[in-house]
Amino acid sequence: MIQVINGLVYGSFLYLLAVGLVLIFGLRRVTNFAHGSLFMVGAYIAYAVAAYLGFWGGLVISVMVLAALGVLLDRFVFRPLAREDAVVTLLVTFGLLFVLEDAVRTIWGKDYLTVPPPPLLSGVIPMFGSTFPVYRLFVVAVALAVAAGLALWLRYSKVGLYVRAASVDPVTTGMQGVDTDRLSALVVAIGTGLAGLSGTIAGPLLALSPSMGAFIIIDCFVVVVTGGLSSFTGAFVAALLIGQVHNLGIVYVPELASMLPLAIMTLVLLLRPRGLAGAGR
Amino acid sequence: MSALPSTPATARRRVPAIAVVAFIVAVAAGLLVPAVVSSQLALTLMTQAVITAVLATGIGFLMRQCGLTSFGHAAFFGIAAYTVALNGKFGVLPTELAIIAAILLPAALAFVAGLGIVRMPALAFSMLTLAVAQAFYEIMLRWRELANGDDGMAVRLPSQLFGLDIETFQQPGSMFSVCWIVLVVTVAGLWLLSRSRFGLLTVAIRENEERARFIGYETVVPRALVYALSAAVAAVAGVLFVLYNAFVTPGTLYWSLSGEGIVMAVIGGAHAVWGPALGSVIFFLLKDAAGDLTEHWPAIIGATLIVVTVLVPRGISGLIIALFQKLKGGRR
Amino acid sequence: MSDFVLEGVDISRRYGGFTAIDTVSIALEPGEIRGLIGPNGAGKSTLMDALCGRGGGTTTGTVRCRGQDISTLSERARRKAGVARSFQKTNIFLDLSVREQIGLAGHMAENDNTDEVMEALGLAGFADRRAADISYGDQRRLDLALALVGRPSVLLLDEPAAGLSISESITLAKLLKELAASWKVTVLIVEHDMDVIFSISDRITVLHLGKILADGPGADIRANPEVVRAYLGTSVA
Repeated sequence: MIQVINGLVYGSFLYLLAVGLVLIFGLRRVTNFAHGSLFMVGAYIAYAVAAYLGFWGGLVISVMVLAALGVLLDRFVFRPLAREDAVVTLLVTFGLLFVLEDAVRTIWGKDYLTVPPPPLLSGVIPMFGSTFPVYRLFVVAVALAVAAGLALWLRYSKVGLYVRAASVDPVTTGMQGVDTDRLSALVVAIGTGLAGLSGTIAGPLLALSPSMGAFIIIDCFVVVVTGGLSSFTGAFVAALLIGQVHNLGIVYVPELASMLPLAIMTLVLLLRPRGLAGAGR
Repeated sequence: MSALPSTPATARRRVPAIAVVAFIVAVAAGLLVPAVVSSQLALTLMTQAVITAVLATGIGFLMRQCGLTSFGHAAFFGIAAYTVALNGKFGVLPTELAIIAAILLPAALAFVAGLGIVRMPALAFSMLTLAVAQAFYEIMLRWRELANGDDGMAVRLPSQLFGLDIETFQQPGSMFSVCWIVLVVTVAGLWLLSRSRFGLLTVAIRENEERARFIGYETVVPRALVYALSAAVAAVAGVLFVLYNAFVTPGTLYWSLSGEGIVMAVIGGAHAVWGPALGSVIFFLLKDAAGDLTEHWPAIIGATLIVVTVLVPRGISGLIIALFQKLKGGRR
Repeated sequence: MSDFVLEGVDISRRYGGFTAIDTVSIALEPGEIRGLIGPNGAGKSTLMDALCGRGGGTTTGTVRCRGQDISTLSERARRKAGVARSFQKTNIFLDLSVREQIGLAGHMAENDNTDEVMEALGLAGFADRRAADISYGDQRRLDLALALVGRPSVLLLDEPAAGLSISESITLAKLLKELAASWKVTVLIVEHDMDVIFSISDRITVLHLGKILADGPGADIRANPEVVRAYLGTSVA
């Protein structure tokens, strides 16, 4: 049972990151290869700021800086390349991944860094006959709160309506006078802000290293492909599923753990070639 | 895919004299270089460069014919290397046969997987190939009993291989020539294939898959075949790697190796079959020139990739071809 | 069993709840040029899609080519059976030369007449240029050539003159009529220019709201009050 909650924790991370990929894919039909690196940058920024302002200060600053980076990314990468083939953006953000990793390695070195959880959340609570760190529950709570918040925002706000419309049919939405560029800046900022958020809360759980971003982006890709590329619900379900499988795999069959998420994905794609939610191209 | 002699297209497919000359010069150069270059270090670097050039050529061929960017070709490279290595450990096959198996196995895997994934949107294809390759990496990393995990394993090789002394494959001087000739033959073979009807067909499918069906062609199998072929080329690179180093680590499966291959293919320009090979030469020259900056090598290749992708989408080979055509007076 | 080259019986195609064409039957006699007209959204392209096996929606009904039931065949197999198709939106291979792509299409056909087709459609002069580098009018004829090569039994042409000037359209229509006659190709053609379509068609079928409104020789169609009310009256002065 504890393992199931641990899987939930990892799934929560995957969701927080994957949703950023889904948002940008829905609007621009491109994939941000550097998204995992932004997660990594967010983690380091939070680490650095926490030394002065504590964990919560680091959280706020990291999210803000990352959201600002998202606006820049949209303005100087996604928008100029909007007319090019999607692979061009993929390659450019792939290049960005190298640059960001190197920058972080230069500033903070390549050794693992650890961040303590904030005092408020550092205890353990009894659960299912053993104990469980409060912090991990906090992570799950954050992911659920974000998922619920996003769902409400997409469902009830005007911007959310545009985003949903665009992820079904970007061309028509664009023609109907929705300012895709402004929308996109906002949406990318939200996506990268969430990367900052998950990077921050990853600090106390995972050791920080410059390559943590490239590592997690791979599971994120599995999540978004399984979920159907542009579906929020699909990404949510897929993230929890893959998080669970990944975690149980590591506990019970460590040698083959990496194959399990792929096996799930293959199964899903065989049954539903367009992913769980079956939209998007 | 043989051409009917009566079809008009045969006239265009005759191999131009310049290509034959280039081929002969290239082979001769490969044999001469070790005689001219005396530095063992330089030869070692160049041999590595040529091995990666073979990998990049495989990645680039898939880009050229199918418009698909594989982020997982390290898997084929690594599977080939580990096939030879594990065969040495368990002694299942004579090494020559194991080498052939090491090339055919990745090709077969790619073909079967390709039947499913070449139909996917190009982005999903890239993401999937990355994820699958990384899964192989993790297996080799964690399954310590099989191949020592992260520490890597030494590869037991016989003293003679294909009638040649094993030293031929392990001394940089001779191995450079071996790898170079493999590269030249691979590029030449793929170039001929790209001009064949099969090559034209796959480009047609890349350009307009629907119309290709409407003129009567099946469109999945040809793409899966190209994917298999490009995997086989990556596997050849993996075999060369394992013969040369007699050592494998999970690093041969790691995504950054695929990434390097992509960067080389993009810099060199995959629109020409020989572009990626050129790209890897430039890549290694850059690396050498970077000198003290090699510490920031990832940032340099990242930045180069961005600049080339945006400003020179057809890569260096595209620039060369454009220049050549200008000199010839604007003909195609 | 039948003398028709191409025959569609009770063809319907639905997209979700929307019925684009509803129990349409059409039969083409050998050598005939049949014009297919109707207002936008009448289902002309959808009917062509259903006849040549292009995917999309749910299709019911039977399609026969020279008596052979091809309803369940893929677009690829239908092309081999003799049903070729050109497209409203230019649908060619931009990165291949003119000769390369016609050659590819010709190779699949029983009798490869790439040279003949290039000659007949005036493409031979720039056979080795990339399709991306030739003029729009030439690209339209290249699109036609991809369908025409190999002398298929039936040619489904969806606005072959779309985007061409009036004089170019007339020239193309004349050429088409000559080729159809000399190569014995049966043609089903959709065209917006009424002068062009009435001048080359032996017979006209009018689609309206997914159903056949009228069918007959051009003169009868022009005189048909229903057709005039539904369609012609608004576009032909």
